[in-house]
Amino acid sequence: MTFSMVRFQAIVKKEWKDAVKNPQILLLAALPILFALVFEGMADNRLDIISYPALLALSMTGAFTQSTMVCEEKEKHTLRVLMLSPATVAEILLGKSLLTALLTLVVMIISMIIVGFPVYHFAYLALMLLFSLVMFLSFGTIIGLLSRTVSESSIIGLPVLLIFVMGPFFAPDLGGDALVKIVDYLPTQQFMHALSALTEDGGFNEIKWNLLNIAVWTAASLVVCLVTYNKRRFDK
Amino acid sequence: MQPIIQVNQLTKAYANKKALNGISFQIHKGEIFGFLGPSGSGKTTTVKILTSQLLHTSGDVRVFGNPIAQSRHAHYLGRIGILTDNSGLYERLSIYDNLELFCKLYGIPIQRIEEVLTEVNLAAEQRTLVKQLSKGMKQRVTLARAILHKPELLFLDEPTSALDPVNRQHIHEALRKLNEAGTTIFLTTHDMEEAESLCGRIAFINGGKIEAIDTPQQLRLNHSDNTITLTTRQGRVTVERDDSGAARIAELIRKGELLAIHSNEPTLGDIFVQLTGRNLQ
Ligand SMILES: Nc1ncnc2c1ncn2[C@@H]1O[C@H](COP(=O)(O)OP(=O)(O)O)[C@@H](O)[C@H]1O
Ligand SMILES: [Mg+2]
Repeated sequence: MTFSMVRFQAIVKKEWKDAVKNPQILLLAALPILFALVFEGMADNRLDIISYPALLALSMTGAFTQSTMVCEEKEKHTLRVLMLSPATVAEILLGKSLLTALLTLVVMIISMIIVGFPVYHFAYLALMLLFSLVMFLSFGTIIGLLSRTVSESSIIGLPVLLIFVMGPFFAPDLGGDALVKIVDYLPTQQFMHALSALTEDGGFNEIKWNLLNIAVWTAASLVVCLVTYNKRRFDK
Repeated sequence: MQPIIQVNQLTKAYANKKALNGISFQIHKGEIFGFLGPSGSGKTTTVKILTSQLLHTSGDVRVFGNPIAQSRHAHYLGRIGILTDNSGLYERLSIYDNLELFCKLYGIPIQRIEEVLTEVNLAAEQRTLVKQLSKGMKQRVTLARAILHKPELLFLDEPTSALDPVNRQHIHEALRKLNEAGTTIFLTTHDMEEAESLCGRIAFINGGKIEAIDTPQQLRLNHSDNTITLTTRQGRVTVERDDSGAARIAELIRKGELLAIHSNEPTLGDIFVQLTGRNLQ
């Protein structure tokens, strides 16, 4: 399969022109920053609170924007037209994701700066955030492809994202061993474990299992995303 | 020469309903071939199968000589143009921006936009946002996009259903021009006048079955009742197409009473009713 830079750029350009005129996307980008402003000062060095705006950026700005954009393309039947053009899967999906990815990165970094996110071992942190970004964009794409309308995508998306984002936040207080165990396998929870290990001057050895967990989730979400996309190429 | 489209015993069953019951037809290079049938007869289903948007249940479907399941390559997609009810536009973008995207995707020069918009009578509107357009204008933009890359083979599912007569005429002109330049066209319609004025050959489709395939002229001749209507100074008379009719015509001419002669060929709509017992609407 070939990858055409011209086609990729054309899709990115279209995405950009479309996004700046879409108030919903601008709102999704602003929300995490607002939360960060609220949480700033409340954090008290509690890592879960400090991480919260970053996770919100990943889920709101990353996954939700992506699912909104993908779903709108489906609802308005433009995705089918792209699929029936010579553009390849990679060009379409990467073209659609680049803008969301950049937007999410910017929002995430701003939110992290506002709450005073501690940066130990920049390389590991960046790696984990990058994996998470890919994972949440895949989640967003999957949700967008599975739901029929944009409003349906919020209904499907909200509980899923709540579990990932709020899971680590509430799990310790909820009690119940089974639940805590399940939440512990969530990549967001593993991210928190790794983060606290890094804060306590841990290195690769301390976080390797967390990294593996996040990497597996990322790979799995990518695969599910591609399978879902290919299924959506045909009407039923 | 090998047909561009070759369909044999094609069937399609949706979850609880048979939409196509074993249809067969061939389309050759350079043709404008039409599916004429009422709503629900299987037109859209056929177009979607041929454009690989829908999987068929059984039968053999070949486009450009290759089985349709294997045709889904960028190479194949670059050779065809598609307009169906599934062909959406980016509402927040202008007409121009919509078409610019597809120029890039198909690798054709931007100058083509102006050309194609002139053909669909929208050149003056190119900076207008799509969401501000009427339904008929959107249909014309969709058509412009379908023919942007001058495809070898063009699929049009009810291309003028939302258009007024003037714009329909305009689109027909554009399609004829495209066809003369070498594009083979497969179109569906429930409008007998559209089928008659555009198509070299027509298939009547009803209930997922093809009832007849032929040129419009031949279809009409085959179903003509062989009578001739004469307009005379005394009024209209209908005569048979035989010796007695000929004598009658000769006599009227001799007396100087004959004003006009019309052979009574049925319209495509009449023939459709004859063959299927159904109206086209
Ligand atoms: N997705 C679908 N699921 C079930 N039945 C369908 C579906 N699409 C079309 N049909 C049925 O198949 C038949 C043919 O439909 P269609 O091809 O859309 O007809 P046309 O385009 O000629 O109006 C109709 O009876 C229609 O109700
Ligand atoms: Mg139809």
